[in-house]
Amino acid sequence: MAFTLELDSVTKAFGEFIAVDHLSFNIPEGEIFGLLGPNGAGKTSSIRMMIGITAPDSGAIRIFGQPLTRRLLDRVGYLPEERGLYKKMKIMENLIFLAQLKGIGVPEATRRANLWLERLELGRWANSKVEELSKGMQQKVQFIAAVIHEPEFMILDEPFSGLDPASSLVLKDALLDLKKLGKTILFSTHRMDTVERLCDSICLVNQGRSVLLGVLRDIKASYGRSSVQLEYDGELPLLTDSMLVANFNDFGNYVELRLAPGADPQHLLEVAMRTAKIRRFEMVEPSLEEIFIDTVESTKAVTVHA
Amino acid sequence: MRKVLLIIQREYIVRVRTKAFIIFTILMPVLFGAMFVLPGKLMVRGSETRQVVIVAADAVLADTMKTELVGFRASDDEEAPPADTRKATRADFDVSVETSPSEALRQQLTRRVRSGQLDGFAWIEADAVTTRRATYYSRNASDFIEASLVSRAFRLALSERQLSERGFSPAQAKTLLGPVSVDTVRIDKQGVNKSNSMAAVALPYVLLITIYVTVLIYGLYVMRSVIEEKSSRVIEVLLGSVTPMQLMAGKIIGVGAVGLTQIGIWFAAAIVLGSGGLAFAHQIIGNSMKDAHISAVALILFPVFFLLGYATYACLYAAIGAMCNSDEEAQQLQFPVTLPLILCMACAIPIIRDPNTPLAFWLSMFPLTSPIIMYVRISINMPPVWQVALSIAISLASLYGLIWLSSRIYRIGILMYGKRPTLPEILKWIRYA
Repeated sequence: MAFTLELDSVTKAFGEFIAVDHLSFNIPEGEIFGLLGPNGAGKTSSIRMMIGITAPDSGAIRIFGQPLTRRLLDRVGYLPEERGLYKKMKIMENLIFLAQLKGIGVPEATRRANLWLERLELGRWANSKVEELSKGMQQKVQFIAAVIHEPEFMILDEPFSGLDPASSLVLKDALLDLKKLGKTILFSTHRMDTVERLCDSICLVNQGRSVLLGVLRDIKASYGRSSVQLEYDGELPLLTDSMLVANFNDFGNYVELRLAPGADPQHLLEVAMRTAKIRRFEMVEPSLEEIFIDTVESTKAVTVHA
Repeated sequence: MRKVLLIIQREYIVRVRTKAFIIFTILMPVLFGAMFVLPGKLMVRGSETRQVVIVAADAVLADTMKTELVGFRASDDEEAPPADTRKATRADFDVSVETSPSEALRQQLTRRVRSGQLDGFAWIEADAVTTRRATYYSRNASDFIEASLVSRAFRLALSERQLSERGFSPAQAKTLLGPVSVDTVRIDKQGVNKSNSMAAVALPYVLLITIYVTVLIYGLYVMRSVIEEKSSRVIEVLLGSVTPMQLMAGKIIGVGAVGLTQIGIWFAAAIVLGSGGLAFAHQIIGNSMKDAHISAVALILFPVFFLLGYATYACLYAAIGAMCNSDEEAQQLQFPVTLPLILCMACAIPIIRDPNTPLAFWLSMFPLTSPIIMYVRISINMPPVWQVALSIAISLASLYGLIWLSSRIYRIGILMYGKRPTLPEILKWIRYA
């Protein structure tokens, strides 16, 4: 299998603080890959090394099968977590300038910028200055800047943050189209719902280390249908019963819980019915959020190899 | 290289089309014009005839004073008031003489001055010839021209009196007390130029201010541009496409090109308007500018020294911009760096008067002041070529070091947000490979 990106034991330290600690993963061509982790886990530090802003202290990064060089970066698109455009320049000027830096000529850049602006419903803003736009609109312009040179590999740091549901939908469709064209996408996010719907594989990092890595489907399957989703009215004192429940995430009248090893779901339901009115009871694979919280909180790192 | 060109192009276009650039291009020459014309114009305020009374028991003395006051013309006396106030001295005096001083008269005159019927009166005591003291009462005691003219008349009247007492005829006395004139002639390598001191100071001063202002302003543009990219976080996107070194180089070259453009416009305008403008200057400033000239070498060297000064400060300001998160933060940090520039301005006048002192020599070698001070020296009188060459060589060598230093600070600083770095941290950045 051809890999778009290969990280081999990449390490980066800032003084005493180790931001990235022997991180290794490969992203196969054409996949959408999720780089997950809590704040400060080392996601941004890793990404900065992938696009050559900083160099790893040790380890190797390969892109398109070759050691990382600046020339290869023209084939990479980057949407940083902190949005950045020239505020005093017009949208179109921003896009053309950033496209030119990636080696696209002015006429071609203009044509593509117009297409993308139309598609993301920004057509009539092309000649407005960036500072006149709402945050969500700037976000979309930033996205265009990351894809205008038609990169084979896109690194998108929190692409959906700050977007309203309608815009999110437009962007999601755009991403899926790019995937259909065979592009590889790396997402960095801590929003699990998006990852769950879009990503093929994930790498969960915590404190600079990879704690969970693999194909998302396999990871979820390995947890089995040991999770229960309950909709209820009333009280559920059973949640704190460690014989029945390993852990739980309670929303007041909805709870996701993981059964304790060996616990019987039928028994759980019986107990629950004594104290609350149950409107829904379903055994499911754990949600990624559960896995995320579970993995981050557990001191023992779990690595599932696909 | 193509990417550096793109960055240069963006910096250039974005800056040249701003209103600030256009306004500054027009305003600078206008300000210079104003600097030379306005003080004169303001002084002419009192050009209406002044009503003055001279009170003295000695009628002859009073009459001589009156003659001196009424008959005064600027051209009579080159040495009296400062050059740029000369226009004002055309003020006419309407003088009357009182020869019977009394307390009642003094009070009456005081009332008339207060009510505005009179501009002032000179009170000369009987023993004035020996004490050489008089009092001038005026509505506006701070009008030093009026006062200086009165005291000049008083001095001349006293002198005439003493000369006539020693047997000089009035005509002889007039000649003795008459004005003298000293022409200043500048001798330089090209030969002998009749010049006059006003023009000799004015042109180097204009060039000094121009090079100072452009170096400072364009240096600060670089700093603000760095901060803008940092605070708007464009930097992160750019670094996905270019190296910090390319970015810094493109930025400094781009902004410098804007500076050269502006200087080019000024020079072109000066050449086109040259003769006409000079004639116009003659009219308003007077003949003092007639000998103003600047050698071709000095003209050609202007962009060279601008670029040296600009590049030096642009490197420093770029490093400062990279250390800061906002313009406010940068304002505090930029001061120590701006200090040598301010020093140049403070030393300017003595150096223009005497461009060959040890102070002038060392300041024209020290890399942070040399581009400006060496250029000032050149604009006055071409120093020995070895000095100019040495100054440029030192400048280039220090520039090489500065580029190395600030690119290291820049490279790391642009990615650091939050707290401003401490000095040890910056030293660590510099050592960091």
